Amino acid sequence: MRRTRSPIREHGRGAWLLALVALVLLVVVAAACGSSNSGGTSPSASASAAVGVLPSPTPGSSITVVYHYPAPPKSLLSQFTAQTGVKVNWVEVGWDNLQTKIAAAASSNTYFADLTDVDWSKVGQYYKTGWFTQLNPYFDASSLKSDMPQIDTFQANGQLLAMPFDASYTVTTLNTKLFKAAGQSATPATVTDYTNALNALKSKGVVANPLDIPFAAAEGLSTYWYQTTAAFGGQVLDTSYNPLFTSPSSAGYKAMQWMVNAYKTGLVPKANIGVSDYQGFTSEMAQGRVASVFSDYSGTVASVYDVPSSSKVVGQVQYIPTPGTGSGTVPNLANPDGIGIPKTAKNVAGALAFIKWFTNTQNQAIWGGLNGPSDVISGFPLPARVSSLQLLAQSGKVAGSQELLTLLKTSRAQFPGPGAPPWYAQFSNSVYTNIHQAAAGSQTVQQAVTNIANQVNQLKAS
Amino acid sequence: MSGESVSTGRKRPRRSGRFLPYILLSPLVLFIGALALYPTIVTTVQAFFTVNPLDPPTRFAGLANFRALWHNPFVRESAANTVLYIIVGVGLSTLFGLGMALVLQRRSHWRGVILALIVLPWALPAVVEAVIWGWIYDPTFGVLNSVLKSLGIINGYHVWIGIGRVVSIVLIELVQVWQITPLAALLILAALQSIPQELYEAARVDGAGRWEMFRRITLPLVRPGLAVAMVESLILSLNVFDQVYVLNGFAPGGASIMLQTYQISFNNLNFGQGYALSLLATFATMLLSLLILAVVYRRVEF
Repeated sequence: MRRTRSPIREHGRGAWLLALVALVLLVVVAAACGSSNSGGTSPSASASAAVGVLPSPTPGSSITVVYHYPAPPKSLLSQFTAQTGVKVNWVEVGWDNLQTKIAAAASSNTYFADLTDVDWSKVGQYYKTGWFTQLNPYFDASSLKSDMPQIDTFQANGQLLAMPFDASYTVTTLNTKLFKAAGQSATPATVTDYTNALNALKSKGVVANPLDIPFAAAEGLSTYWYQTTAAFGGQVLDTSYNPLFTSPSSAGYKAMQWMVNAYKTGLVPKANIGVSDYQGFTSEMAQGRVASVFSDYSGTVASVYDVPSSSKVVGQVQYIPTPGTGSGTVPNLANPDGIGIPKTAKNVAGALAFIKWFTNTQNQAIWGGLNGPSDVISGFPLPARVSSLQLLAQSGKVAGSQELLTLLKTSRAQFPGPGAPPWYAQFSNSVYTNIHQAAAGSQTVQQAVTNIANQVNQLKAS
Repeated sequence: MSGESVSTGRKRPRRSGRFLPYILLSPLVLFIGALALYPTIVTTVQAFFTVNPLDPPTRFAGLANFRALWHNPFVRESAANTVLYIIVGVGLSTLFGLGMALVLQRRSHWRGVILALIVLPWALPAVVEAVIWGWIYDPTFGVLNSVLKSLGIINGYHVWIGIGRVVSIVLIELVQVWQITPLAALLILAALQSIPQELYEAARVDGAGRWEMFRRITLPLVRPGLAVAMVESLILSLNVFDQVYVLNGFAPGGASIMLQTYQISFNNLNFGQGYALSLLATFATMLLSLLILAVVYRRVEF
């Protein structure tokens, strides 16, 4: 009797075969996804003989720059290609999204870009994770310091992890027209003068809520507190990262109390509980709904308030030295972006050549407006170099250049000494959520500072 | 003609043809395997490891990630928030979906147009919808304030999102309800249209009113569609992220469990805890889905 093959067995064998094929393919895909980039650093890039000597890029090669600013004008990028033979693919990605991509790509050891953003707040984290190429062999931070005052921000334990993409610091802006309308012609020099002036604007009905503080639970609220703390004569963490804000007499405590009081007494619009930093600039300050931002960003006068198509306060807003509590100058805290090379970059030589070109004196001035609006990088806050800012000030093309130049020279790192801690993201998260909750009324300032301090101590211990 | 072919009455499939279904299916199996199965296995395994670039090397941690999550007040708060998102999301989308399906069941010349219009919110990206609703809720120039004020319901403009936890969550979830209700309506409508009209005619002959027919015929027989719609709403509400992020940022008063997972993984770089929280969210989705199916779903045969 001939044995017939059972259809069930046939299906069973087919299923096994299918499973086997799928498994093999899955393993192949997984292996492909997980494999590291073998292209990595080109040999020429790792063999630089002396500081400042860059390896020659390979003509005909290309680099991918992923950044949260738009690309420089094509005509200028073409000049770079003509000089070096390296083609530039610029991909613009939003800041938040970009940070996620950097973390995801680096943690899986996958190629993502040859150049990307290194935010000042991430330097400690990147130092510890080792995700970015050290630039010390190629750029001498100590000799560049006088022309690039914020270069220190991108160093951790002597390692230079990025070059400044721009210069940016927190600075006070005020609408002179609205202040004058309330009889406040003199520039407020102290926090008390400033608060009194704001109260005058409110009581005289010039503006219902004259002050912008972005109370949304986001990074902008944290940096606002750091700058306000500096105005009250202190800083939030010491060089060993111990909290300095727990005592009611400390600058950090007073600063937070001042911010929360400003919200509760109506100096700040109630809507600001959900307003982030740039929303405040564009929908409040630029529309004349508020008269001042205590911790604004350098460059917003030219890039936001003096833009006729989107601003109602053109020519009315100016930078002022941040008011303090004593007679000394209040430091303006550095808030720059850097440009760095991920460890998984494929074309390191090309990337180094691009950094050198992008950060040179002439180009930095061009990104800031030296050639006029057509060559500006939209939203670019300020050139990273003093020499570039001097060119801008001499040209007279950018509002407030002279004031910004003066303030740039005295700007200070957010965390002087060791730089941002590796656990800065958790710290900042604790800062903005707790201040947000204090303003929303779900906890007191005392509870907020206690919670933040507990978080710092926990992070230090971990 | 051979005897064998007469006895079977059909052609034996050629050897190559037997594998055709498997060959055709294999890309899909591979796709699902690579994008769903493989990540699930990795997530499950890594949830029991310390995976943190700030605290190398990767090492076995047992249940430490789960313990840390349990002791994290932000995780507990976001879990409680997510329960509220689910209650509002599943409750309202099912209710509105049923109502819309009942209206759409009636034959009308405009049904096609109405169907196309109600599907529109479902087709829009969640971020776009959140931005639009952000304008509606805006405390300074939002439509919500101006409508409520003109109706005399409120005296002055209110800040809707960010102050009160429950109000914030309900308003944020309303945006998602607006998005997912059309799909719920379509699922329920499909179930409604499969109910034989004879049942209603027989009930009418027996003197049943509209409410009686809805309670005793429609509702029991539409349960398979309701169950599927509720499970779909549950999955989306439990995974709500875009609307929360756009409307309320990282404020703990409205943070969802997915927002917390993002924070832990990509902000704090604690991928081990992120995997663990994802795993817990997956289990919660499965358990709640099974619960809905057990309570709501009934096999219906006509």
